[in-house]
Amino acid sequence: MVDKLFHNLTRISAFLILLIVAWIFVVLFNQSTEAMQTFGLDFITKDEWAPNVDKFGAYAAIFGSVASTFLAMLLAIPVAIGVAIFLSEIAHDKIKGFFGVSVELLAAIPSVIYGMWGLFYFVPILRDLTGGMGIGLLAAGIVLSIMILPFMAAVTRDAMNTTPDILKESAYALGGTQWDVIKDVIIPYAKAGIIGSLILALGRAIGETMAVTFVMGNVHKVPTSILSPTTSIPVTLANEFTEADTSLYFSSLFGLALTLLIMSFVVIAIAKFYFLRKARRA
Amino acid sequence: MTAVQKRIFINKLALIFSTLSAVIALAFLFWILGILVMKGVSALNWNIFIYEGAPPGYAESGLKHALVGQLILVGMATGVGVPLGILAGTYLSEYGKNSKLANTIRDISDIMMSAPSIVIGAFVYAVVVIPMGHFSAWAGAIALGIMMIPIILRTTDDMLQLVPGTLREAAFALGAPKYKVIMDVVYRGAKAGILTGVLLGVARVAGETAPLLFTSFNDNFFTTDLNQAMPSLTVTMFNYATSPYEDWQQLGWAAAFILSMFILGLNILGRLILLTRKKGK
Amino acid sequence: MASIIDIKEECALHVRNFDFTYKGASAPSLKKITMPIAKNSITALIGPSGCGKTTLLRSFNRMHDLYPGNKYEGEILFDGRNILDPKEDLIHLRTRIGMIFQKPTAFPMSIYDNVAYGMRLQGIKNKTELNDRVEKALKDAAIWKEVSDRLKHDADGLSGGQQQRLCIARAIAVEPEVLLFDEPTSALDPISTQGIEKLIIELKDRVSIIIVTHNMQQAARVSDYTGFMYLGDLIELGYTEELFVTPKEKLTQEYITGKFG
Repeated sequence: MVDKLFHNLTRISAFLILLIVAWIFVVLFNQSTEAMQTFGLDFITKDEWAPNVDKFGAYAAIFGSVASTFLAMLLAIPVAIGVAIFLSEIAHDKIKGFFGVSVELLAAIPSVIYGMWGLFYFVPILRDLTGGMGIGLLAAGIVLSIMILPFMAAVTRDAMNTTPDILKESAYALGGTQWDVIKDVIIPYAKAGIIGSLILALGRAIGETMAVTFVMGNVHKVPTSILSPTTSIPVTLANEFTEADTSLYFSSLFGLALTLLIMSFVVIAIAKFYFLRKARRA
Repeated sequence: MTAVQKRIFINKLALIFSTLSAVIALAFLFWILGILVMKGVSALNWNIFIYEGAPPGYAESGLKHALVGQLILVGMATGVGVPLGILAGTYLSEYGKNSKLANTIRDISDIMMSAPSIVIGAFVYAVVVIPMGHFSAWAGAIALGIMMIPIILRTTDDMLQLVPGTLREAAFALGAPKYKVIMDVVYRGAKAGILTGVLLGVARVAGETAPLLFTSFNDNFFTTDLNQAMPSLTVTMFNYATSPYEDWQQLGWAAAFILSMFILGLNILGRLILLTRKKGK
Repeated sequence: MASIIDIKEECALHVRNFDFTYKGASAPSLKKITMPIAKNSITALIGPSGCGKTTLLRSFNRMHDLYPGNKYEGEILFDGRNILDPKEDLIHLRTRIGMIFQKPTAFPMSIYDNVAYGMRLQGIKNKTELNDRVEKALKDAAIWKEVSDRLKHDADGLSGGQQQRLCIARAIAVEPEVLLFDEPTSALDPISTQGIEKLIIELKDRVSIIIVTHNMQQAARVSDYTGFMYLGDLIELGYTEELFVTPKEKLTQEYITGKFG
């Protein structure tokens, strides 16, 4: 009897995950119907976001999300791959341990702190270097890239480490250098895992709020240059959710949330199902 | 240059580049950590633990409200997330195993782990805050709890699977019912791993700001009323640091420092537990 | 005292007083090994698990250098010099002494690219030369007929036995003088094993071969000389037929008759 109870308890808990995820989609969808019915497809394609006249087009926020994430990937990917190579192939034991742990601890630092550092220390430098306001798309992209770097490096390194030793040794045995082995054996072998890890990091970066809220500028306009202050979906949500005063405003914000969830879900699912098919069977 | 010499040269370049990347990454890390420690430590004083939040300019202002609030929120979230996560992970490892359903749950849970946390905040707003009519600690804790479940589920699932099948069989062979096998043998065997998973889950959730922004909201006053908006370190950090007031900004850095030390401490503790377990074996 | 046969014919390699200590180990894993390796013949290394035969094999092409912290002492003479010298050009050495591993290790590229890999590393770019040498290597490895129509296909479509032949083709394409085989058939079925053994015997006209095997019968079938190792020592080295029928050392006899191991 107790046995059955326990079994059911665990079963319900496991099902709860599916339930919650489905529920989230349902709730977001319901809450955004008003906005969707009012604006239709214009919600995604128009960039006029004017709370005072109850007109909401999410294009600027979507653009800002995509642009800042794209910029962050551009900066982070080469460095992350370099760090991953360093960690998996080059560093000797003690250094490997120290660096490896540092990278994982870095990944644990709350993202709000990256935002604070970005605002107080990085933005002034950027301001001096570029002459602009300092705050804007570029700052957001850079801070985001630094924030996502540890996670990206760690999962890419894990992917590279799946390469069997004797495969690497075979290449060395033919007279290959370390770079030859990395280029011709490790990267082709771990290709799927590496790409999957990078895409997974992208999925995370898209949903990032706190690291970029400080430095994005919160201007609800499509950026005209890389230095323009702008906004992204999470930033808009963070700043405006508690200010929303009409039901259409709220509904539009939920529409933003739903858009973000779908974007992020799709990207992560692609990473997971297409690239990261790990054999996790016991 | 012969082909071989060229290869050796390119090899050196590649090694330099990747070492450089590692150095750059580490440099940013130390920069950020350094600032955190510097500003945080200089802003630390006993006032922080004695006083609650106050308007800018007041000498008697501190972070007591935020510290206690954070503990309450994270504690409640842990109370929700850990049991559900462990039970769900147990189902996956011990009952569902490799079935299509179990793997679907695993995949969905994994995706949720990386999903935007602010969206979860919006969800909880709609299902808890609106019906309640106001912000509350309940809402914040539920949001954090939802975030914690996939993490704990995954680590529990992985750790339980590491327990050798022969151990289970031995218990069954003695006539033990399944739930006893799980509780007495499997949980015991995976104890360290599960604990580490819990610590890492708590650490991850304790650093979240976005899901709290419109669930537990924030407050400058000390409160233990779960039905009201509950201050948290993370949201307080966000508010204070983006304010134009010098003393609030100081407090923001102090909060950042305290929180980071707490989270890093949990992470290190979790790793130590796993390490000593390995050595003990 | 070990019984090492005195080899009158020309030697490809000469091991002299060779000690090897793994990183962090308190005692050497190989103790004062002295042995000649005859040219253009097959020398088998046998012995129970942990006797050091693979450790010795991997010293010939300095594979241990990939994992820093190990220590070589003594000499291994090849081509008139000691290849254990820290100044030895390892990249060059490994083109003269090749290795085949326990499991087939086809690279994630096409069959053609696999075989051509070693040559490309050396800078050979000429299409005609590459084509000719790839074909020759695949023929010498007795696999040309099976793959000549799908050279551009990925190597992972081949069976285990075929992949191992591919690895052999890849190794001989760079025309080494010595080939090291580390339990090359341990992951293969009996029929593939037979094929590989036949191939190894054919190859000895062109290269000197050292093969580590945990299968005594394989050593008896294939090799000209056999060295028996035990706990880091070379106990006996002699003509294969003599060692298996009339071993000079008691330990050798006990191992061969299955008293341990």
